[in-house]
Amino acid sequence: MRAVGPSFGERAAKALADASLQRAIGDLKGGFVAARARAVADFPAFEEMREAGRAIKDHTLANLDFYLERYAAEVERHGGHVHWASDAEEACRIVREICARAGARTVTKGKSMVSEEIGLNAALEADGIEVVETDAGEYIVQLAGEAPSHIVMPTVHKTADEIADLFLDRHRAHGFEARARDAAELIGQVRAVLRGKYFAADVGITGANFLVAENGAGVIVTNEGNGDLTSGLARVHIVTAGIEKVVPTLDDASLLLRLLTRSALGMEATSYTTYSIGPRRDGDIEGPEEYHVVLVDNGRSDMLAGPYRPMLRCIRCAACLNHCPVYLAVGGHAYDAVYPGPMGAVLMPMIGGHEKAEELPHACTLNGRCEQVCPVKIPLPDLLRRLRHDQWEAGFIRGTARWGIAAWSWLATRPALYHRLARVVAAAGGYLGRSRGRFRYLPLASGWTEGRDMPAPQGTTFQAAWAKRRERR
Amino acid sequence: MGREAILRRIRLALGGATGADVAAQLSARMLHPPPAPVPQGEGDVVARFIARASANLIAVERIASLAQLVPAVQSLLEGGEDDARGISVAPALRHVGWPADWAINYGPGRIVERLSVTEAFAGIAETGSIVMRSAPETPTSLNFLPDVHVVVLHAGDILARPEDVWHRMRTSGEAWPRTVNVISGASRTADVGGVIVRPAHGPKRVHVLVVGG
Repeated sequence: MRAVGPSFGERAAKALADASLQRAIGDLKGGFVAARARAVADFPAFEEMREAGRAIKDHTLANLDFYLERYAAEVERHGGHVHWASDAEEACRIVREICARAGARTVTKGKSMVSEEIGLNAALEADGIEVVETDAGEYIVQLAGEAPSHIVMPTVHKTADEIADLFLDRHRAHGFEARARDAAELIGQVRAVLRGKYFAADVGITGANFLVAENGAGVIVTNEGNGDLTSGLARVHIVTAGIEKVVPTLDDASLLLRLLTRSALGMEATSYTTYSIGPRRDGDIEGPEEYHVVLVDNGRSDMLAGPYRPMLRCIRCAACLNHCPVYLAVGGHAYDAVYPGPMGAVLMPMIGGHEKAEELPHACTLNGRCEQVCPVKIPLPDLLRRLRHDQWEAGFIRGTARWGIAAWSWLATRPALYHRLARVVAAAGGYLGRSRGRFRYLPLASGWTEGRDMPAPQGTTFQAAWAKRRERR
Repeated sequence: MGREAILRRIRLALGGATGADVAAQLSARMLHPPPAPVPQGEGDVVARFIARASANLIAVERIASLAQLVPAVQSLLEGGEDDARGISVAPALRHVGWPADWAINYGPGRIVERLSVTEAFAGIAETGSIVMRSAPETPTSLNFLPDVHVVVLHAGDILARPEDVWHRMRTSGEAWPRTVNVISGASRTADVGGVIVRPAHGPKRVHVLVVGG
């Protein structure tokens, strides 16, 4: 049970009433959805490639130990170090130790959802290290003291006006006195501030979209180029990645990249796709002196064992968020989770435990759009349904909800009784609602009628109407 | 430690360690990746490259030989505000007859130079991308620090798809480069209000000079 803090319902209600947030996330509906649809329409092989992408991920997961060992051997062969972290705490400890050995005072970070997952910034800051997010969106939310609300577009909840106010307040120290007038000026400030940081950084930390077993490459995809300046200019480069990120070959990565960029942004390719393998070599005039990879398990090997293995196919494109009616209504922060939206609702209970993410599998209408757009065909609605069942079995669902679901389940598994009762309800409802055709209030269903009217039944059940129709034929 | 614990959990989940025969099959799969669906593209790769790169707002210019490189860069400098500031040139392109009075940085990228000239390993027609390979003669920082990134790409190095580039690297007999940058446009972001702004952290313009062909 969530011990403190507002519930999902309370956070969602607040989000729905927040006009600025609604304006900000409203743009997602048009922008991302339309861009993805265009990119898919322009690419006839998309469906065939989705199936191939699913197969690559399934093949890799079925042989995960082999590919991870091969990947690690390749990194080490190229002079890098591979560290294996069972959980968030161990991952943070490994990174802190690398930073301590490097005498790090400033750490730059490219966008890395795994580092959000393990709470890396707080761990490093507790050691007195300055951590600078370099993705423009991550930089903005860090400056605002917030968390990202979307896994691809961290600032999707913020308007340009809000960011201009934030910079006016926080960028004076960097010599920017006037309030920026538009997005270009705001980004110009980010560029100017971060240029110095890249060179000053002792350690640069990035995530990885893929890890390639064939040659030990870590792949990152950006449009900004921040990941490359982070990894290339610091003295030490650390890659943090989940163990499920490994793929066998560069060809496999290329196929998945075609799916990723189209699904995430509607683009054929992002501006930068970078493959890094190890530290600087003899004769190199630049590049990191040390190269470390921290492979993070944090619940993933448990997922591999059971029915949730398909979730490990996820390539973090966020198409499921962009197409989720719940996410689009309440935004990412209402989930109060590192990974919001449909993929997060499955992933968070797996990596954080049901206790910390109990409500998330219920923040879903099971409409199925997420599964339709998932580039690796993760059956998200099925997994969410299964999580609800697991929660029930584990006793997480209590009180009226448990009683109500038990009663419903009892009735629904007795068809004869169900039909008799449905006939009575349909007849009574039809009679009572005959004048208005709808109900403004229903006992035990105020949660529904507070927001809209319940249409009155037509006096007969669907089953009866269907039987009658067949008789007529 | 962590490594053995994680591998043990994975093997438990998968029902045992990989047998020698399966391991041999998996190794073979890595050496010879199985056929996979690829986007179809027809016609001349150079023309397709130019069309896709232009669609991504990369400026593409054709020159007959490297002898035309210096004049091409000169006209780019004259068109902009950058002529007096000096440029960075990848050591690979040191000997193409740069004017003696130009202030040229042949070292790693710096903030002061606003324009860099580098050489690509390959081009990809499918996406109009250039493939940059790190080496002492082609430093990676030159791809990211300047405002204007000028790239020399030999027409014969333009391949249809990324898979062809990987095949070329696998069969070259050379070690994998430390860093490979596949660049498909200028640096951009939409993190402020969804408005696309160029540049974010990297170059605001990419200018490709296709040599020969």
